[in-house]
Amino acid sequence: MTRISGTYLAKRLVVSYLTLLVIMTLLFVLLRSMPGSFISSMITSGMTAEQIEQIRETWGLNEPLWKQYLDFMINYQTGNFGRSPTYNAPVADLMIRRMPRTLILFGATFLIGFIIGPLVGMYLGWWRGTKKDKSIFSTSLLLYSMPSFWISWLFIWVFNYEFNLLPSAYMFTQFPEFQWTAVTVMRDVLYHIALPIMSLTFIGWVGAMLIMRPTMNQVTDEGYVFLARAKGLSERTVMIKHAARNALIPVATGAVVGLAFLIDGSIIIENVFSWPGMGQIIVSSVLERDFPVAQATFFLLAVLVVIMRLLTDIVYTYLDPRIKFGESE
Amino acid sequence: MATGQGDTETEGESYTRRWEPRLERMKRGWSRYTEHKIGVVGLIILGIYTLWAIAPSVFAPHSADWVAYLGEPPVQSRMSAEQVRSLPHPPAFGDPFFAPLGTNANGKGILSLVIYSARNAMYIGLAAGLLSSLVGVPLGLISGFYGDTWIDEAIQRFVDIMYGLPFLPFLIVLVAIRGITTTNIIIGIAVTSWLNNCITIRGETLSLKERSYVESAKVAGASDTRIIFRHIMPNVLPISFVFLAQDAAGAVIAQASLAYLGLADFTANSWGIMLENIKSQGYIFSAWWWLIPPGVALMLMAASFYFIGFSMEDVTNPQR
Repeated sequence: MTRISGTYLAKRLVVSYLTLLVIMTLLFVLLRSMPGSFISSMITSGMTAEQIEQIRETWGLNEPLWKQYLDFMINYQTGNFGRSPTYNAPVADLMIRRMPRTLILFGATFLIGFIIGPLVGMYLGWWRGTKKDKSIFSTSLLLYSMPSFWISWLFIWVFNYEFNLLPSAYMFTQFPEFQWTAVTVMRDVLYHIALPIMSLTFIGWVGAMLIMRPTMNQVTDEGYVFLARAKGLSERTVMIKHAARNALIPVATGAVVGLAFLIDGSIIIENVFSWPGMGQIIVSSVLERDFPVAQATFFLLAVLVVIMRLLTDIVYTYLDPRIKFGESE
Repeated sequence: MATGQGDTETEGESYTRRWEPRLERMKRGWSRYTEHKIGVVGLIILGIYTLWAIAPSVFAPHSADWVAYLGEPPVQSRMSAEQVRSLPHPPAFGDPFFAPLGTNANGKGILSLVIYSARNAMYIGLAAGLLSSLVGVPLGLISGFYGDTWIDEAIQRFVDIMYGLPFLPFLIVLVAIRGITTTNIIIGIAVTSWLNNCITIRGETLSLKERSYVESAKVAGASDTRIIFRHIMPNVLPISFVFLAQDAAGAVIAQASLAYLGLADFTANSWGIMLENIKSQGYIFSAWWWLIPPGVALMLMAASFYFIGFSMEDVTNPQR
């Protein structure tokens, strides 16, 4: 507690907020410099110029650019995400509906990946150079090299097409013969999420392992590990309690990297498995120039990452007391 | 160095004197590298891919424009309905044509396409990996060394901003703005992938600069630049090599992912485009000879980058 001063925390919070503002500005510029306008999907061939003008007026495209920018910034900070032209619904509703679905997928794979990864990395780093290390390590690298959509296809082929064990698409059974109760909903979602999670974690855990292994190996040469051994502690205790805890520091940063990986991975996986989450609409909205939706998804993912970055810096200081933040030397 | 007029003997001598230790060190590094089987395997795989990239026509049974039944272009005739129906054709060895890995739905030989696509993947991987390392490593070092000053703050805020934009959608936007060409895909990948290098190397540097040897170097009067590049950099190089390899491999995979989403230069030959085609034409579960080879080729290329990177790590690691 004492290692992080209140002023430091306050400073970081303000900076995180400013970061978000810059990201929003960047989003505004980037999306508007894309070729095509988002009202082009609403314009059909039979429309008169007045009707088109009417549409432009409704969506605020006739305002000067600085006014549009100002409106955008103010609206987003007051939680007003606007309306989606393609879904014909408020963007906020869309987000609220889709966010939890993605978070389920995210959370599960994040958890599984960051439990398996560091554990395997710990063992491999500790027993570095042995036959076991070499074979497991090279196999995991092969896994990590697979394109996620390709491995999903292979999984779908085996588990759905050949043996028909698991569903290959959607989040719920489309025309169920059972009643929707809390239990059946849970079971159905678990049944449908199995393949996407398998495909994502099959590749994803390696990322954490890759960060853990070399640092674990560096830590083995440290004095405190030697000391712990000299005290007569068991190899297991030294590895887990003394070495692994220090090797976890870069893994904490890696968690943010892992998050970025997960966002990409889940975008592809959601598209492959027709999972109705954010990853699916972020791609389609960008491609269809549905800017209100694209902006909102980008924005929410950005908020997620900025919060994670803040947490990482705090976790850092707890893991490594040698790092001091917010104190002048 | 300025020896005036060409006294060739002394010049040659100074040349050997200067280069012998370097060669010696390289030899030692090489022998240390070859200790790792996966490093050698990675080099062999990458060597094969390099040969494929340089001279695909030597290795491929046909050119990339070859069409089953009709042969090499220019072709005058057209396929009969019977022949069209037999596509995509499973592997055939001489009867009715020679295509060891079968053909795709357009009658192109899979093996030839896989070999001709190596150049594209190689180019994208190396270019994007190098670009992002050249940006990420120095920035990470500087940011970590000046941790908690305005320099660190500025770099980290920039990284934060870039991190806030998710990689793949951001890449889609970039590629959409600048047009879908291979160069733009490389730039897009490099712009979005140096962050991992920077952030990890910063974390390492933050921890390293608290070590006693950095403090003693400081006391001895070493400049900041010297401490960063002579004392700290050798310790983060292992990880930065890992990241160069990871970025190269990641670029190859990212390009395939973009192709999967329909964003690729479809005039080029690439493994990602082959996989995109199998999806859009609906043969994922019925043409294994078309589904497996591009994926395996992609996997092996990315894996060879990883293998080489992780073996390099041991060579550059000063602790052993």
